Amino acid sequence: MKPRSFVKAICAVAFFMGLFNLPLSAENSILLKNGRIITVSGGTISGGDILIQGTKIAKVGKDLSGPAGTQVIDLNGRWVMPGIIDSHSHIALEGDVNEMGDLITAEVDCRDVINPNDINIFYALTGGVTSIHTMHGSANPIGGKGIVLKLRWGKSARELIFEGAPLTSKWALGENPKQSNASGMGRARYPKTRMGVEMAIRDQFEKAKDYQKQWAEYERKARAARDSKGKIAPPLPPKKDFRLETIADILSGKLWVRCHAYQSEEMLSIMRLCREYGVKLVCFEHGLEGYRITNELVEYGVAVSTFADSWAYKWEAYNTMPHAAALCAKRGVLVALNSDDAERMRHLFNEAAKTVRFGGVSEDEAIRMLTINPAKILGIDQWVGTIEPGKDADLTVFSQHPLDSFTVCEMTLVDGTIYFDRARYLEERKKAEDEEKKKQKEPEKKKGGEV
Amino acid sequence: MPPLIRNRLFLLLLAFLFLGRLELLPDENLHRLWAIKEARIVTLAGPPVEKGILVIRDGLIEAVGAGIPVPKDAEVIDGTNLTVYPGLMDALGQSLLKLPEEKIDMTRITAGDFTDKDRGITPGLAAFDHINLGKAVFEKHHRLGFVTAHVMPERGVLTGRSAVFCLSDPEKNKAVLLKDLCLGIGYSPASFLVYPNSLMGVHAYLKQALADARHFDIVRSRWLKELKGLTRPEYSPTLDILTDYAAARKPVIFLCRNQHDIRRSLGLAAEFKLDYFIADLGGEAFEVIPELKNARARVLCTVAFKAPGSSLYAQRGKIERERAEKEVYPKNPARLAEAGIPFAFSSLGTDDPKAFAEGIQKAIEAGLHIDKALEALTRSPAVFFGLDRAIGTIEPGQIANLVLSEGDLLAKDAKVRYVFVDGKKFELKEAKPGEGEKPAVNITGKWEMALEGQMAMNLTIEFMQEEAALSGKLITPFGAFDFTEGTVSGNNVSFEISISVAGQDLDLFFSATVEGERMRGSVVQGGAGSAEFTAKRIPG
Repeated sequence: MKPRSFVKAICAVAFFMGLFNLPLSAENSILLKNGRIITVSGGTISGGDILIQGTKIAKVGKDLSGPAGTQVIDLNGRWVMPGIIDSHSHIALEGDVNEMGDLITAEVDCRDVINPNDINIFYALTGGVTSIHTMHGSANPIGGKGIVLKLRWGKSARELIFEGAPLTSKWALGENPKQSNASGMGRARYPKTRMGVEMAIRDQFEKAKDYQKQWAEYERKARAARDSKGKIAPPLPPKKDFRLETIADILSGKLWVRCHAYQSEEMLSIMRLCREYGVKLVCFEHGLEGYRITNELVEYGVAVSTFADSWAYKWEAYNTMPHAAALCAKRGVLVALNSDDAERMRHLFNEAAKTVRFGGVSEDEAIRMLTINPAKILGIDQWVGTIEPGKDADLTVFSQHPLDSFTVCEMTLVDGTIYFDRARYLEERKKAEDEEKKKQKEPEKKKGGEV
Repeated sequence: MPPLIRNRLFLLLLAFLFLGRLELLPDENLHRLWAIKEARIVTLAGPPVEKGILVIRDGLIEAVGAGIPVPKDAEVIDGTNLTVYPGLMDALGQSLLKLPEEKIDMTRITAGDFTDKDRGITPGLAAFDHINLGKAVFEKHHRLGFVTAHVMPERGVLTGRSAVFCLSDPEKNKAVLLKDLCLGIGYSPASFLVYPNSLMGVHAYLKQALADARHFDIVRSRWLKELKGLTRPEYSPTLDILTDYAAARKPVIFLCRNQHDIRRSLGLAAEFKLDYFIADLGGEAFEVIPELKNARARVLCTVAFKAPGSSLYAQRGKIERERAEKEVYPKNPARLAEAGIPFAFSSLGTDDPKAFAEGIQKAIEAGLHIDKALEALTRSPAVFFGLDRAIGTIEPGQIANLVLSEGDLLAKDAKVRYVFVDGKKFELKEAKPGEGEKPAVNITGKWEMALEGQMAMNLTIEFMQEEAALSGKLITPFGAFDFTEGTVSGNNVSFEISISVAGQDLDLFFSATVEGERMRGSVVQGGAGSAEFTAKRIPG
């Protein structure tokens, strides 16, 4: 084996073996001592402690002590913040994230294809991310249902699901639903215009209403048949339609709508549509031109989940700037910074720093865009997003301030369990590398002997 | 091919067919009464019988035991040094299927004119209609003790329906045990922009289809009962087939590529209360043992032992993957056995019976008790498919599906001497003489074959030679016919091709001597006729 490929091979093996870094056992009690704690809800505490009991934060303050047997971790002045929440992601899903076969695919559900073995879950933990909203892509006006996960690496699909988080429906406006399936294999599908996209959604609302009427009518007849004690024959049930049932759940507000959109005009018009039907439109995904319509967003209570400085990658994404998130935040719009990408997910803290650099928001505001804001957008703020007693012990430890360009994420906890510990990880990687080196040397020796 | 030549070839084949009829019928058809004496009989219905006698009459086991009378007119097989086992069953395979070749009409696809087939919705595809039985495939199976096969198409979402065959007769109407038994459910999205073309779409489609089938069932049966006063439901061939499965009147088989598919399937099965089997194509059932146990699931266990791409082992790179495929995956059957999860062995994922048998050996080496392995090849699949009164053990009244081997059947060096299938005897001869000599030539490539004499014509033949093993394809106007298990020894080449023409099966034996880029030899059909041929390599 050539020396270079040998090194490559051992690096690869060691690296990947290291990744099998199983979480340290969740002791009932962990005390993080002497850190700089960015609580988000109550300022920053220097020389502060956090006591974790079970899966929850028990106490936050100074000079805390835990019950006997508490695992004490000295933070030595390092920074702690609430675990980062990525409100727009597509990782940990098996198969394609878009169901391209139809215009409206409300019934398809990310819950059915959670892949707990996606290595990107571990990578996300190395960047301090503890919860994600993973969802259908933006090919269809109404795409599939999304799901909020806690990154309990090593657990099963069901155990990753964030219990209690509202279910979501992914919509998309603009170029993507317009152009999906437009050329190449298969017929160009309706719609070809922005008007058409909106009409496709309205059309489903009407169908779902009809569907609900059919079932109400059936229930009425079935009741009458029951009451008649055999005189009236029981009616035949209508056909179950999972797609329209999902749309009905959207109309009833049971599903929270997350709408991919870039341009202010289409955001305004979809807000009008949602208002008309009483749909719970929670957030625009990307929403790059949101800064132009902040009054309307605030009035309707729609948030924006966006990038710090990613734009101009297609024409509908031209009219924005790295100040957009800051402008929205200053006008009172709830803003989250998201990854939409497995790689960006590992350094969302750098992304937040960009809004400070360009948009001039405060450091605290930038941290909120990674924590409590996405938690609110996802409806999970009662459990996560700040460091307070009673909340889930989802925490991440940084070497410097999380917005410092040289900061490194050193430890990530979910539900009080350490799922990533950089020091331990590096140590295991070294061990694996050494073992691999040993293995590689042995056959070489033998070969030498033969000669 | 010009019509004249085509006619000539047809005449040649007809001549073979005609002469074939004059040949003596195979002995298994003459003797309807057999007795095996002095054999060790592993009945699986009770303790093994030492020096036992087994009587076979008219395709069934008539009697079994020690010291029972041997009918006077029975043909006797001396079973000294032989052990008799119930014939082995492949609980799920598809290598015996010859599905019509798919031709994709691009104009249709670009026009967006999709069919259910493009979507992977082919519940009408019946294994029974596409089964490929014949002497060559029988021999391949018999040599390893396989006498029964459960066969199902495996491509798509609703993949098609299965059938169970005894590998006894090339005539499928005689060989079939059960027809249209299970329906395959797979998680393969459509390759085109047609619903469902994502995994989540497939899952949603399955839910909707099962709900539709139930609805169709209710509405149609109600309409058939009353006939008046109700609007009749629109007919759907897919739902018509699906109703029996959605109502758990027949079992479905979930084709699971990995542990996540297994969990999805258990979810669907519970939601719709299906009768089902888990076909563990990814070999990851061991990752889901508590769930399988809880659901009382029955597993069809494959033995390819390849880590699925979704596994962490595969994501961690080649070395980890290979390690897992050597150390982790082969333990899957042993772990199922340990957990008490009922399973049978499936050949899906292995190319031929030989690879299937080797996979089973690997499972045994990885800790599966040999008795459990035997059970998973006999009684378990019989019970799974409701056939345990007919096959799977050795008891009077059961179909005479038996294997007679020297030594333990599942031992590494086992040698199958005879099999009985449907009471027909098949003797497995030792390897052909001359075998063992190292090949002196490599004939891999395309050859043009010229038949000589009155039937002179040219055919194309493709060879694939790997050391002494020879496989390939003969291309004729009636289709291409694959062959395997040919041999090259020194300069000598021999191979057997089974072809079917006008519903008739022909076994052609070719033998030739190679000299450089040319070969010369003869082709024989049974004792019926022969022709000389020469062949030369087509350059390139």
